[in-house]
Amino acid sequence: MSRNVPQFKEKTGSNASLKGTLASVLLVGAFIVVSWFGIFFLFLSRS
Amino acid sequence: MHLHKYEKIWLLFGGGVLVLFILILSVNSFAMGMMPPSHMEMIDPTKVDQTPPFDNPGLRQVGDNEYELVMTAFIFGYAPNEIEIPAGAKVTFKVTSKDVVHGFAIPGTNVNMMITPGYISTLTHTFSDPGEYLILCNEYCGIGHQVMATRIVVKGKEGEKS
Repeated sequence: MSRNVPQFKEKTGSNASLKGTLASVLLVGAFIVVSWFGIFFLFLSRS
Repeated sequence: MHLHKYEKIWLLFGGGVLVLFILILSVNSFAMGMMPPSHMEMIDPTKVDQTPPFDNPGLRQVGDNEYELVMTAFIFGYAPNEIEIPAGAKVTFKVTSKDVVHGFAIPGTNVNMMITPGYISTLTHTFSDPGEYLILCNEYCGIGHQVMATRIVVKGKEGEKS
């Protein structure tokens, strides 16, 4: 592309809040861990 | 590359959880022998009825309350039909197919395996509780697949656990 396209540079350094992302990731992670151990102990109980 | 503090936290958490899962499964399989039912034992699927021990399927006692149950799966049933064992019996199932892929599952237990022609599937289970258990085909095998099942009856006093 030879034409100059207007560049938008957003400062994402320390301004972006990752608190919500952390909360969401930990929630999904907790769901995964709980369901994994739930099924694992079900398996063990059926042995 | 700059990592945010929160990114470090969830990467550690995610990676740590993965390592934990793999560790638990590794201990289970390598140290405690919890493996899939195939031991890569092969058999000629066209000669199942002539190959021991499948030429004489049935229940054999191999120890104190320990049994070996040799079974064949075929369209649309299992041999033997209607098996009886005492409560607390440790049963090793050895199953092969005489024709197509079948399933072998006892709902409510960990017995669940595919019976592939050409292979012998082996799995051991201890039947602690008396009752009637259903052996079900859970792999589509043809027009009579939905009626392919048999029973295993565990005899013992109600409430008696070994």
